[in-house]
Amino acid sequence: MLIQQLVNALTLGAIYSLIALGYTLVYGILAMINFAHSEVLMLGAFMALGLAALLPAIFGTGVVGLVGMFILSMAGAGVINVLVERFAYRPLRHISRLAPLISAIGVSIILQNGVFLWISTQSLRFPEPVAIGQVPVFGATISTLQITILAAALILMGLLHFFVERTKLGKAMRACSDDIQTAGLMGINPDYIIALTFFIGGALGGAAGVLYGMNYGSIKYNLGFLPGAKAFTAAVLGGIGNIRGAVLGGFILGILEVLASGYIPNGAQWRDVIAFTVLIIVLLVRPSGLLGEKIAEKV
Amino acid sequence: MTSIFRFAAAVTAIVFVAACGPKEKSVKIAVAVPLTGDMGTEGQGLRRAVEMAVEEANAAKRFPYKLVAAPYDDRADPKEAVNVANLIISDPRVVAVIGHYNSGSAIPAAKVYARAPVAMVSPAATNPEVTAQQNSKDWFGPRMVFRVVPTDDVQGSYAATFAYTRLGLRRMTLLHDKTPYGQGLAEQFQKTFLRLSGKIVSEDGISVGDKDFKALLTKIKSDVSKPQGIYFGGLYTEAGLLLKQMRELGLNDPFVFISGDGAKTSGIFDVAGDSADGAYLSIVGVPVEELPSAKAFVDSYKKRWTGSGEELKPFDHFGYEAAQVIFAAMERAGSPDRVKVIAELKKTKYTGVLGTTTFDDKGDTLNKIVTMTRAHAQDHTFPSVK
Amino acid sequence: MLRWRWTPWTALALAAAFPFLAATLDAQYLVRVGGVIGLFMILGLGLNFTLGYVGLFDLGFIAFYAIGAYTTAIAMRAGVPALLALGLAMVVTLAVRALLGLTILRLRGDYLAVVTMGFGEIARLTINNLDAFTNGPKGLQLAPWRPLNFLSDDPNIQYYLLILLAVAAGVVAAKRLENSRVGRAWVAIREDEIAARLSGIPVRHYKLLAFTISAAYAGLAGGLFAQWEQFVTPESFVFWESILVVSIVVLGGMGSIAGVLLGALVLVGFPPLMQWKLSADWINYRYLFFGLILVLVTLFRPQGILPSSRREAELTS
Repeated sequence: MLIQQLVNALTLGAIYSLIALGYTLVYGILAMINFAHSEVLMLGAFMALGLAALLPAIFGTGVVGLVGMFILSMAGAGVINVLVERFAYRPLRHISRLAPLISAIGVSIILQNGVFLWISTQSLRFPEPVAIGQVPVFGATISTLQITILAAALILMGLLHFFVERTKLGKAMRACSDDIQTAGLMGINPDYIIALTFFIGGALGGAAGVLYGMNYGSIKYNLGFLPGAKAFTAAVLGGIGNIRGAVLGGFILGILEVLASGYIPNGAQWRDVIAFTVLIIVLLVRPSGLLGEKIAEKV
Repeated sequence: MTSIFRFAAAVTAIVFVAACGPKEKSVKIAVAVPLTGDMGTEGQGLRRAVEMAVEEANAAKRFPYKLVAAPYDDRADPKEAVNVANLIISDPRVVAVIGHYNSGSAIPAAKVYARAPVAMVSPAATNPEVTAQQNSKDWFGPRMVFRVVPTDDVQGSYAATFAYTRLGLRRMTLLHDKTPYGQGLAEQFQKTFLRLSGKIVSEDGISVGDKDFKALLTKIKSDVSKPQGIYFGGLYTEAGLLLKQMRELGLNDPFVFISGDGAKTSGIFDVAGDSADGAYLSIVGVPVEELPSAKAFVDSYKKRWTGSGEELKPFDHFGYEAAQVIFAAMERAGSPDRVKVIAELKKTKYTGVLGTTTFDDKGDTLNKIVTMTRAHAQDHTFPSVK
Repeated sequence: MLRWRWTPWTALALAAAFPFLAATLDAQYLVRVGGVIGLFMILGLGLNFTLGYVGLFDLGFIAFYAIGAYTTAIAMRAGVPALLALGLAMVVTLAVRALLGLTILRLRGDYLAVVTMGFGEIARLTINNLDAFTNGPKGLQLAPWRPLNFLSDDPNIQYYLLILLAVAAGVVAAKRLENSRVGRAWVAIREDEIAARLSGIPVRHYKLLAFTISAAYAGLAGGLFAQWEQFVTPESFVFWESILVVSIVVLGGMGSIAGVLLGALVLVGFPPLMQWKLSADWINYRYLFFGLILVLVTLFRPQGILPSSRREAELTS
């Protein structure tokens, strides 16, 4: 049972981590909560569903089709995130800190209701891209789907790490995250870097949406809200703005949830209470999250 | 300041462009259900069912006036439900109300309808309090709440008896979605199952909107007291996810899954796919294949709404039946008068898609026939268990 | 300047007269809607202390609305008189809020936002799970309380007036605090915490005070809500409602009393207005339009509809 639960926790945690990365990247640069991120996640899943119907004609089924669906959905979700930034956040960037948040809430409502009104009001079946098999490991039953999800999430996190740490653009992103004004003086175009950040964050959110659809087999217009809120919590738990923190936070949240509903009698209904209580305790001990740097007092 | 005016102009424009609709004289049946928000899926289904009933009535010229199904959106939010109720009673053309979807909205809204008074026929709110509050000394107004959907006790105890005697199960696990509906079903199942000397191995509440039940199911699977199945009180989305993840963890036949009518809809196949196969789902009323009117309803619903890609939702036939019960009362009353319709509704004896509906003195349906069906994934049907 | 001084009183008189004119205007529905707007005005005024005056970001404010509503419901079911139950609701929310503030107020900015959001969910789930005290998801019924029967037998009119009274009292209290020593300390803290501390303002103390006072408003609003509906259920206190209150304060104009009132009027009034005026074909679009309004207002008036005059003065001078 322990191994089984561990795999359950890791799959859940991987999805939370991917979503949390989207929040944390944007936060790192603009110090704003991108409330619409949960809808980007939902739209990623819906785009994958649309592509799944279209793509076999182009790529054929199998791995090529799957990867094609994945990459195109990610790109689509990234583009949506960039558009949202351009039209709903950028005009407010230098004016007030909370105005973009309200604008983001508005965008989130518009996107969710848009899908509800114009795409579908009901749950839609998400195709199984690969045949699901069961792999027995030490008495636990692990599905190939869980392995696929875990692998895809880890690969994406690896790519992100490489991009941020090893490439020139990644360096520019880190510079903007440290101090966007100074970065601008050093010849970095902040608008461009911000757009890039939103694209990457959105793409990761889109990827999480596709994995979410694959894992649970159906998608609906309101699927983004709950994992979005939880992943945001995870990002804060790890230290918002910190990439490694987001991944760590996501996995910890996954483990916490599994522990609560898997081991405590009648624990499922208290699961979120337990998770939030742990979050509050962690933040009281470490006010900047697990890996967040201590913020110097503003003088 | 100018931008305030620019903004005000924009707002006014939005409202008025959208507000221009035809405004002819007609008689209205209000459909007060969640049309947006998280419960929008089920609410839109109810709206479609009632609209279809109204279209049929108009086509058959059952009334000397034009009947209109007037939709109101309560968002499954109690505060908005009371708003909507106040709006409905202020429109004299509304003869009766079909709604509300959730008990949390139906209970406070009913108090408003009582003051008008206008009849409220609920197609989905199953908390006993929805009708029972009319017996309270604080009730202001006549008794005008009716309910075509039976309360939770009927289905829960039927399922328990079925599990114990027909399937020979002795150890069950109880799950519910912490809503009045789901928890009510589960509590009744537990009561009856314990009385039959069965054993409830564990009990857990989940949240509507949760997707991941693997941890919970893993716990159930490795429970030392070896439960033989799950009874779930809740709706098809969570039921479907539970079934799918059960099968992924290897909880297959003979481990059973039993649930109620909230899960019995083709939507469960969209969520669970083939994993839904073999699930026992109880419904209220006689099985569809024995009742031609029910089959006719399903067929015409499909025909009417196929183009929009919308399938039947679990409470749609209750919505349709609520409309039919109101139509019959309006015919007997002879005029679209609110008070006369309430009086006639009390005398209801209507045979339709649910079998025969009559109301007790609280307004609850006396139609308490329950049938157990079994999901058949290959052709998305629910043949009844003989 | 005389004209401006009398504006609030004129507004109050008009608002008080409205329910008695509504019947002739065929707008009784708006009395109900007006009452709901009033409840959110009280909530907005409350959150304004936390978010507007000292800039503490609270995403779980609705928890205190819920605690207020449930305290009133449980107290009244135990036989406590209605007015006393309202008072009790305010005391309980104040106490819970003070305890919460003592533990979490050392967190900064968005960390505080997430912790309060967490508290909001903890409160709602606990209410939903503690069936023995709260009757869980099935909710609690309350006996009617109709103190203004001599004015009208319509409960909507009675509660509209009660809520209006509460709004007026809330505004007066907020105005007094704003212009007092405490209010000036709050502004100092919001503008520059360290400078405020160096000037000898006990920052922690004043932050906790603002954070706590908020709760009395939420408790009062919750109690009135429970008494008006005669029914409470956890379904009323979802995360979305917290967001709505934050939007009211930010969109109205942080720290501005008139702004908050106007914010509640626009944001809470708009969806029911659409319910009334939109035709059947458009009713599904209600919240799409609502989202559009949020975005448009923010883009047109990023400082809020009516930003606080003190803030404006600071910006221009």
